[in-house]
Amino acid sequence: MNSKKSIALLVALIVMCIPALWAGGAQEAEEAGTDEKVKVDIFQFKVEFKDQFTELANEYMQENPNVDLSIKTVGGGDDYGAALRSRFASGEEPAIFNVGGPQDVADWLQFLAPLNELEVTEKAFDGVLGGVTMDGNVYGLPYNQEGYGLIYNKEMLSQAGIDPAGITSFAKLEGAVKKLDSMKDELGLEAVIAFPAKETWVTGLHLSNAVLSQEFDNVNEAFNADSVEYKYSRGFQKLVDLQNDYSVQPTLSLDYSQQVEQLFAGEKVALIQQGNWAYGSIAGVNSDLAGKIGFIPLSVEGGVGDSIPVGVPMYWGVNKQLEEDVVAEAKKFLNWMYTSETGKRYVLEEFKFIPAYEGYDVSKVSDPLARDILDFSARGKTLPWVFMGYPTGWGQNVLGIDIQKYVADKMSWEELIAHTTEEWESARQ
Amino acid sequence: MTGKKRFILFLEVIGITVGIVFFFPFYIMLINSFKTKPQIFQNTLNLPGGLEWSNYAEAFERLDFMQAFANSLFITVGSIVLLILFASMAGWKLVRTKTPLSSLIFFMFVSAILIPFQSVMLPLITIMGKIGFLNRLGLIFMYLGFGSSLSLFLYHGFVKSVPKELDEAAIIDGCSEFQLFRKVIFPILNPITLTVIILLTIWIWNDYLLPSLVINKEGMQTIPLQMFFFFGEYTKQWHLALAGLTLAIIPVIIFYFSAQKYIIRGVTQGAIK
Amino acid sequence: MAGKMKRHLLFWAFVGPLVFAFFVVVVMPFLWGIYYSFTEWNGIVRSQVEWVGLRNYIDLFDDEQFIYSFWFTARFAVVSVILINGIGFALALMVTQPLRSSNALRTVFFMPNLIGGLILGFVWQFIFIQVFAALAEFLHLEFLNGWLSTPETGFWGLVILMTWQMAGYTMVIYIAALQSIPGELLEAAEIDGSTLWSKTRHIIIPLVAPAFTINMFLMLSNAFKLYDQNLSLTNGGPFNSTQMLAMNIYNTAFQFDKMGYAQAKAVIFFMVVATVSIIQVRMNKRREVEY
Repeated sequence: MNSKKSIALLVALIVMCIPALWAGGAQEAEEAGTDEKVKVDIFQFKVEFKDQFTELANEYMQENPNVDLSIKTVGGGDDYGAALRSRFASGEEPAIFNVGGPQDVADWLQFLAPLNELEVTEKAFDGVLGGVTMDGNVYGLPYNQEGYGLIYNKEMLSQAGIDPAGITSFAKLEGAVKKLDSMKDELGLEAVIAFPAKETWVTGLHLSNAVLSQEFDNVNEAFNADSVEYKYSRGFQKLVDLQNDYSVQPTLSLDYSQQVEQLFAGEKVALIQQGNWAYGSIAGVNSDLAGKIGFIPLSVEGGVGDSIPVGVPMYWGVNKQLEEDVVAEAKKFLNWMYTSETGKRYVLEEFKFIPAYEGYDVSKVSDPLARDILDFSARGKTLPWVFMGYPTGWGQNVLGIDIQKYVADKMSWEELIAHTTEEWESARQ
Repeated sequence: MTGKKRFILFLEVIGITVGIVFFFPFYIMLINSFKTKPQIFQNTLNLPGGLEWSNYAEAFERLDFMQAFANSLFITVGSIVLLILFASMAGWKLVRTKTPLSSLIFFMFVSAILIPFQSVMLPLITIMGKIGFLNRLGLIFMYLGFGSSLSLFLYHGFVKSVPKELDEAAIIDGCSEFQLFRKVIFPILNPITLTVIILLTIWIWNDYLLPSLVINKEGMQTIPLQMFFFFGEYTKQWHLALAGLTLAIIPVIIFYFSAQKYIIRGVTQGAIK
Repeated sequence: MAGKMKRHLLFWAFVGPLVFAFFVVVVMPFLWGIYYSFTEWNGIVRSQVEWVGLRNYIDLFDDEQFIYSFWFTARFAVVSVILINGIGFALALMVTQPLRSSNALRTVFFMPNLIGGLILGFVWQFIFIQVFAALAEFLHLEFLNGWLSTPETGFWGLVILMTWQMAGYTMVIYIAALQSIPGELLEAAEIDGSTLWSKTRHIIIPLVAPAFTINMFLMLSNAFKLYDQNLSLTNGGPFNSTQMLAMNIYNTAFQFDKMGYAQAKAVIFFMVVATVSIIQVRMNKRREVEY
């Protein structure tokens, strides 16, 4: 390659870089020229709503021109905890970030600002703040509420003559599953259920929660517990066996996408254990079906059989170690998001959240799964979410993994109970 | 047909068969990038019914492709230019200087190839954060550091085959060290320089983890960073991700295909000397 | 005296910049990481960092999963290095023959390397699970069903993915080596009546030996450090049976929040792999012919 050509090539490459430098430069200029603006950096995890969230932030900035909101979302497949630690390590501490429950609050306590005085805190429903309250101080604000159970295909169940409202115990649940199984061919099913044993959060966190929430009254109790009793060990095992035995095989490589988008939305299975967040995925593949679904409880034998776990998946926290005005503006924004008319409209209609606060016209909640959750809540048939109180990493990396071994016949249920109990206790020493 | 010709033909057939096997995943990616999401699940193997160009349009927009492309380019080119320059210089000097210090330095660089990134991640970000050297320029500096081991290793190996007599002849002719390097040595290193450029480009262009930790400012995202928004907590927007992936690979393929010719030319020129 | 000074200055002028970047970006964090390996820390800045001496190191010898991951990774490294180099070399030999499709083939074989590791893993996951299942039905080949749901299929899935991705990489280095073999040597051998096989054995392989050393070293270290593809292809599953070392270390740090313990694992990991690599390079160097 002669030197003239290589110089030409280099020049061409440099020219192509100009737009990059331009963007960077423009940003610097903007920041330099407007340092009267208060800069609030938001570092959050929810990819699914980031576009709508950015729109909301833009509207806020128009009403409040002295504030500059900058949203950074952690990309999917990435670890929010790792990214957050790195972010703090780099010195670029965000003003608003996410915490999940008591462990996170304990870890990040020195950074979290108490939020008791805000209007939005008072409007929060009873119980949603439990996981982020310590010594009377509230350290987090819920994103939303979510719930899960067995999502069912209405048409299939009605064809099989099963009344979903009648499933109030494990025996009835089992009966329904067997009935569906006997009608597989007529309904065009590959199997009754799709059990994603690969997704350790579905098994180790959510499924276990359906059982353990009947043993720990709330997340703080779980967080403070030195051991786990497994009061309903049989019931737990039966739920795992039921789902696994009547599922499309192999379950060890079955993931969320296959479970929800391929099998359920493709009408090849009638029941899946998932939550209202799956609505978007289902609608994206089969919008027709998405209008005809609802929840059946994960009934526990010997325990509660007619309730679904409803709780808060993630909270907003404010970094109190930044400058006073940044902290004040951060609190103001969060407050505005959940209490102002604009904010509430976004929360309900754009983000499609189930609100964790009073003051919302919940008749506007449109998707059937969310409506079902509101219905269960109104009837008082809910269980709390306690898995945020499990020892760090225990739910997914100990219990979830052991469930996989159990499903593969590499571990007996007794061994699973013994091993996971041992790990819980040693983590809590 | 002579024995040799028959053999060549035989090789062509084998080559093309293996080529098809290698290409198969790309075929899957390509055909599915033109399907709508439901279609991808319904039949994976078949050719798409119609061509869903909207996937590409949407991917292009969501990726903020032009900006991301410019950023990726800036970082990749910047890092590579620095690495080529400094690693070739260091490689040559280390080979020509046969002292224990020189061997030690080389050994340190090479053994660093074995360090997994995850174990230096947090301390690195802390240090760079404290110096305030982050975002694109900091990233280039970090690639210089991380890429130094491999680049030096390759240059070092190659320089050993450049005869010392060349250096001596040039010095007798009155060259300074820098002139010697610039005019005589560096051009000879062309084949390995090209190899190094190709390998570095692939790595840096596609890198995700390091930029995700270092790039904090808006508008400075590279292509891989943007692509990750197609992969949510549990959902994967395959129809968009595959389209985006295809878009992202095209520049690199063009680059590699055209660089190919130069490898051949560079080596041939070297032989003629 | 002036001469010596000048030589030193020149040395550092050439070597300095690279060493500086290397030091700041690699050496310092690594040394700092070693400090952390003697502590207990949850990874959050300005949080308590408690000195615990050698406890982390003692603990890891009892850590079943860590030891399992070690052996799994070693097995994976050996198998994939052999396959990648074998196939890479064969491909290089093939495309350096005067074939019409040489250029196109070179590009196709290298293309897999153009896709980043994480996404590649997702794509192959899709292939192993969905595409294989479709093929199984189509071709009635039962063994194509249920891939990635057992440890064995997980292992071979990883091997296949890495071979596909890296064969082209080693091919590129082998091509550079093959092309630097002086044509005269090969011609002379042909005139003497050598067959392709004997040419390969006696001329090509010895002269390409440095490339073997390089490739084996790179592929070995690559295999040991593998993370992205491991994460996206199997996520260590099922039940951590395909969890490789880098993932074990990362999970210890970020899912169990045990930074100090993870750093200790990383140090041990580094020491073992360094030893293996040194042995490997020493053994290969003896077979090299310097031209």
